Amino acid sequence: MPALAVEALEVRFPGLATPALAIAHLTVESGARLGLTGPSGSGKTTLVNLVTGLERAGRGRLAWDGTDIARLSEGRRDRWRAANVGLVMQDFHLFDGLSARDNVLLPLRLSRLSLPAGAGAEADRLLARVGIERRDQKVETLSRGQKQRVAVARALIARPGILVADEPTASLDAEAGATVASLLLELATEAKATLIVASHDPRLLERLDRVVRLEAGRIRETGG
Amino acid sequence: MFRLVVADLRRNALGALAIVLIVAFAAALGVAVTLQERALRLGSARAATAFPLVVGAAGSETQLMLSAVFLQPAPLGLVPGRVLSSLAADPRVAWAAPVGFGDFVEDYPIVGTTQALVDGLGGLRDGRAFARLDEAVAGAAVALRPGDRFHPLHGQASTGGHMHGETTYEVVGRLAPTGTPWDRAVLVPVEAVWRTHGLEAHEDEAHEGEQHEGEQHEGEQHTDEAHASGAPGAAQAPDPQAAIDPARVTAAGAPGVPAIVVKPRSIADAYKLRQEWRTDTTLALFPAEVLTRLYATLGDARRVLSAVAIGAQALVAAAILLVILLHVGQRRRQIGALRAFGAPRPAVFAVVWMEGFALLGLGLLAGVGLGYGAARLIAARLEAQSGVALPVLFTRDDLTPLLVLAGATAVLAAVPALLAYRQSPAAALRG
Repeated sequence: MPALAVEALEVRFPGLATPALAIAHLTVESGARLGLTGPSGSGKTTLVNLVTGLERAGRGRLAWDGTDIARLSEGRRDRWRAANVGLVMQDFHLFDGLSARDNVLLPLRLSRLSLPAGAGAEADRLLARVGIERRDQKVETLSRGQKQRVAVARALIARPGILVADEPTASLDAEAGATVASLLLELATEAKATLIVASHDPRLLERLDRVVRLEAGRIRETGG
Repeated sequence: MFRLVVADLRRNALGALAIVLIVAFAAALGVAVTLQERALRLGSARAATAFPLVVGAAGSETQLMLSAVFLQPAPLGLVPGRVLSSLAADPRVAWAAPVGFGDFVEDYPIVGTTQALVDGLGGLRDGRAFARLDEAVAGAAVALRPGDRFHPLHGQASTGGHMHGETTYEVVGRLAPTGTPWDRAVLVPVEAVWRTHGLEAHEDEAHEGEQHEGEQHEGEQHTDEAHASGAPGAAQAPDPQAAIDPARVTAAGAPGVPAIVVKPRSIADAYKLRQEWRTDTTLALFPAEVLTRLYATLGDARRVLSAVAIGAQALVAAAILLVILLHVGQRRRQIGALRAFGAPRPAVFAVVWMEGFALLGLGLLAGVGLGYGAARLIAARLEAQSGVALPVLFTRDDLTPLLVLAGATAVLAAVPALLAYRQSPAAALRG
């Protein structure tokens, strides 16, 4: 259950006078459930990309349990992310043509030559846990809510210590969104993972321990 | 990883099929050109080996070779009878046989010759050789059976020749297949050809009341095509059912023939004979050598053909690359997502590379098969037309270009793979 420490983080995009993201200080305790909110363009996605190592911070320090991922090379960030982060995106990013089970196992299959022992059973357990009964169904035939639940199962297959979701309910109807929100919270707790959720969805945000509001790349308030 | 590649290809099955087919056709073009050219070269060279040395009247070497080996109808001058007589008596000659043509049965050329050539071509498959002037031996590909009778036609049926109605041949034997144009020939005693045309010449002359004893070019004025011209009087064989007489063919006063096929006893003899019969009035040649020279001349045409094929392949390669780049462009999100969810960069590279290589490689393999099939089909049609057996075959030399092509495919597939490898996952997720 890693904890996050952010110090003097700054991201600038070429041609823009003000930094896209500037965070002087932010800490997330191990096992915490943090929400990120704010209007479009406020830097939520940029922050998500930084804390997951998808992008590298220009300046500052961004350390998970002492590992400053802003200093890691691209390949090492990929490896660190594969080992520590489970991602759930607004658009699912499932692979059409593969079954729900194969989609859950895909990150493991691609990162090593053979599946680690018990991976298949773990995939089955996770799919059952998120309520997907027909594991061999092709994902393109699933409903949007089901797709996001498969994505949640996939995020947890490598037993990550950090679970990050970017607008996980934004493309779902209220009912499916509520189900996915519950699953995220429950599974993060079950997996003892630190959860970071970027969202506009007030019903999801109110269930988190703490919400950070971003505006124009800066932290405006911390609530929850 | 393979499952992902297969699933992805299946999802774009039509596009993938199109790419495979385009690559296959492009590869087939090159393969067919290479194989067909080789088949023509080997086939005609093999056809020429049955004719070690050909002697004819002074004129075009190429034409003499084409007429004697490939039975191409053309007006040829005649060599006097004393040439054959002299060759037949030469101790350096294993056998020498006259070749006289000009008549056809349907579209099969009738060739007047002797037993020596029947044996020289590989002998008979069934029946027996001609023993009388009205008997004939059919080539392996001729649609005539022993027992069939026919009238010779002056000129091909398809180009409107006239019938020698007064002459009838009976097929008494069939040659073993030779894989040469001679499979489409009907062999008759050369004396019978002389007789058929000698009689004609005689009729023409009846009006003029003249005798052309011993003149060589008699009876040829009325046609563009070469045929053995009979000297009336010298070649008269009044009874069409008379037995053949080899001695008369090789007599010094025998009528002329357009070509003489000579089998020398040794290679040294072959060169000496060629040297001796290259005179002011006669021409001696090795068909294989003339053929080689012909190929050297045609080599440029082959290079042009290969260049066209290579050009087409390069264009296809460029088009395919574009298609693959667009395809990868569309899948940037998906591929970026793979990395975001934990796939290492090399795996992303491998997935895209395998997809590309599978498509191009499959196309390449299919193309080799398709090209082989096309070459076989073309060869079969040409064989039916010309009788020349065209061996369509791969050689060890083909391995190198195929491996080079496979390597180029691997490199080509690496281009989109490299782009996917460099794709930032964060940008990919944004779409």
